[in-house]
Amino acid sequence: MFQNTKCECGHQNHVGTVLCESCGKPLMQETLVTDEPLEMRYDGVARRSQKANPNLIDRIWNFFSSVKIAVYLIVITFVGASLGTIYPQESTFISGDFSTYYEDNYGTPGKIYQALGLSHTYESWWFITLLVMIGTSLVICSLDRVLPLYRALKKQQIRKHLSFIKRQRVAYEAVVDQPGAFVDRLAEQLKRKRYRVHKDKDGLALLAEKNRFSRWGPYINHIGLIVFLLAVLARGVPAWHMDSYITAPHGEAVPIPDTNYYLKNEQFTVDYYADDELPEALKGTMRAKKYETQAVLYACTASCDDPAAEPELTELKRHDILVNHPLEYEGMSIYQFDFDDTPKLKAVRPVLVDKQTGERYGPFELSMTEPETSYALGPYTLELRQQFMEFAIGDDGNPTTLSREPNAPAFFFLLKGPGLDEAGETYLYFPREVDKLRFSQDRINGDIADRFEIIVGTMENVELTEPTSFLNVRVDKAMPYVWVGAGISMLGLVLGFYWQHRRVWLRFDADRLSLGAHTNKNWYGMRGDVASAMQHAGITVEPKSLDNGGKNL
Amino acid sequence: MGAYRKPIQIVILLGVLLIGGYAIGKTLFADEAGPLRPGDEPPPFTLLDLAGNARALSDYEGKALVITFWGTFCPPCVKEMPEFQKQYERWQGEDLEILAINLSESDLPVRNFVQQHGLEFPILRDVKRKVEREYGLKVYPTTFFVGKDGKIKEIAEVPMTDKQIEERIERIL
Repeated sequence: MFQNTKCECGHQNHVGTVLCESCGKPLMQETLVTDEPLEMRYDGVARRSQKANPNLIDRIWNFFSSVKIAVYLIVITFVGASLGTIYPQESTFISGDFSTYYEDNYGTPGKIYQALGLSHTYESWWFITLLVMIGTSLVICSLDRVLPLYRALKKQQIRKHLSFIKRQRVAYEAVVDQPGAFVDRLAEQLKRKRYRVHKDKDGLALLAEKNRFSRWGPYINHIGLIVFLLAVLARGVPAWHMDSYITAPHGEAVPIPDTNYYLKNEQFTVDYYADDELPEALKGTMRAKKYETQAVLYACTASCDDPAAEPELTELKRHDILVNHPLEYEGMSIYQFDFDDTPKLKAVRPVLVDKQTGERYGPFELSMTEPETSYALGPYTLELRQQFMEFAIGDDGNPTTLSREPNAPAFFFLLKGPGLDEAGETYLYFPREVDKLRFSQDRINGDIADRFEIIVGTMENVELTEPTSFLNVRVDKAMPYVWVGAGISMLGLVLGFYWQHRRVWLRFDADRLSLGAHTNKNWYGMRGDVASAMQHAGITVEPKSLDNGGKNL
Repeated sequence: MGAYRKPIQIVILLGVLLIGGYAIGKTLFADEAGPLRPGDEPPPFTLLDLAGNARALSDYEGKALVITFWGTFCPPCVKEMPEFQKQYERWQGEDLEILAINLSESDLPVRNFVQQHGLEFPILRDVKRKVEREYGLKVYPTTFFVGKDGKIKEIAEVPMTDKQIEERIERIL
C-alpha cells in the first residue's frame, strides 16, 4: 500500500516516522485524533530498517531489530540459565565419569536432567545459540535506533509545529507583551541553567537543550555488553581458556598439559594451628594455617617429546604459591589446590651383614623406583632379580605386586661371594620393618637368613618422599576483555542514569506564547527548570500547573 | 548513510553467522572434552620400547592397531598378555600391530615379565603416566582397537579371552 510520508512542512520522512523529523508534527493517524501528550521515544523517528517492501535480509534484520523479540530472548535465556542451577554442572567436577553420577546421586530426576543435556547447560548448543541471538539483537536494535536518533538530534529544527509543542507533557500557553524581549530573558535564564540555547532568525522561537550525551548511555552500555558477550564466546577458543590440574611430586619438573611449560615443586609445606591459637571447640583438631608450594616454572626448549632424552628446561620464574597467591606467568595462573603428605619410601641405604663374623659391607643406595641391577659390596655382589612395589602372594601362590606405588616394596636379590653357592643364593629383602615381619622375611629366605642379613639400621639411612602438591593451572585470556566490557557497560549505565536529556521549545504566534518541554526522565526536575526560568523572565507559574498529563514518571 | 545500509546489514549478519556459527558449532562438535570414544583418533605418542628404540604412533599409519595398557600389578593384564602373544603369532604377515604400553612401572619387573612370558610384540614404556593420562584410562586393562583408517573402532575396558581378542581384531582388519 502506498503511504504518503511527506509532511505538510515539505519534509520527506522515512516509512514508520511518528513525528515529522523536521517540524515535529504528528504523522500517524492514531496520534492525530487525540490531544494526548505525544510519544517522544526516539524523537518519533522511524527505525532505520523499517522499509515498505522488506526482502529476506530485511526480514531477518527486522526480527532482530525488535525490542519485543529481545525481551523474549532474554527471558528464555534467564529461564534456561536457571535450569542449569538445579544440579551441579559437569564442568564443576575436576574429572571423572559422569555417566552414572546424576542417577546415583539424584535418582530418576537426575537421570532425566542428564538425558536432557542440562548437566552441561552453559555449553549446550541452545544456550550458546540464545547468547548469539541476544548479541545479534543488541547490535541490530542499537544500530537501528542510535543512527536515526543521532541524525534527528543533530539537526533539530528550532521552530516546531504548534501541535508538537502543545502536546508535550510539560506545556504552557499565554499571551505575552513584547515577545522578543521575553525570549531573550528566558534564553538568558536557561543559559544559566547550563542549557544550550538556539533562537531562530526572527528571535521568536527557541530551542534549549542540555545533557544530550545521556541519550548515548544505553548504546554505550550495549557496546559494553557486546564486548562482554564476545569475550565470553572467545573462551571457547582453545588457546584462550585452560583449566587443568597437575600432580607435582617433590623435586620433579612435571609438564603442564597442552603447553611447553614444566613446573617443579621444590618444597611443599603445610602449617597447622597450634592448640593455643584455636578456639575451645577446635582444640586437638588439625586446622591448616598455610599451604605453600615453592614452585619453579620452566619452559621446555628442546627434546620435549623425545622419550630417549630428558627435556631441556629454561627457568622462567620462581614463586611461592599460597592459597589465593598463584604463580602468574603470561596470563597463566597456577593455584594451590591440594596436597598429599603421606610419606612413602623413596630410597634406603642398607648394609649387608655377615652374621657369623659381624662384618658389614656397604652401605649401598637402593632406590624404590629406579634401582640398580647389581651392587658390589666388598667380596660380595648383589644382583637384583625382581622388584615388587606392593608385595603380595598372588592367587597362584607366586609373589606379585598389587600396585605401582612403593607401599610395601620388596627386592629379590641373588647374593654371590665367598662361602656362598657358585650360582648364588636368593635373598628377599623388605626395606620396611613392618613388611619384613608381616611376610616373615626370614622364613622365606630359609637358612641364608642365619648367615646373612640386609639391614638399614638407623632412620638416617631411610629417604622418604616429600609431600606431593596438587596444583590448578588456569588460563583465561578473555578475562581482561570481560572487564573492559563490564567497564564500558557501567559507563553507559552511569551516563543514562545520572543525567537527563532536557529540551525546551518555545514559539510565538503573534503575541501568543506556546512552550513545551521534554525530558527522558525526572519530569519533576524538568518542570522545576521551566518554572524557575519563567519566573526569572517575568511569568510566575506553579511547576505543577505545567503538567500536561500523560504518564508521570 | 542510506547508501551504506545494505552492505552494513550484510557485513553484520555475516559477522554474526561467522562468530555465532563458530561458537555454536563448537558445542555441537566438541570432541576435545570427555573421554575417547569410538570414531576418535587415538592421541599421538612417542615411546621407547625395551630395546630403547623410539616408536611413534605415526609409524604405524595405515595398519590396524591393538593398543593395550598393562601392568604387572594388574592380575587381569597379566593373564591377558599371553593371549596377545597368541594373537600376535596368528596374524603374522597381516597389516596388524600389537602395541602393549606398560603403565609406568620400573624397568626390572617389566623385563622379567616379558622374558618370562616370551612376548615378542613391542612393549612400550610410558613415563610418568603421560600417555595413560592422555588416553584417559579409568581401568586396567584397557585396549584400543584402531582401524586401518586411523580411527578407534572399539574400546575394551574389560579383560578379554583369546577368542574375544580375535573377534575384535577381525573387525579392524
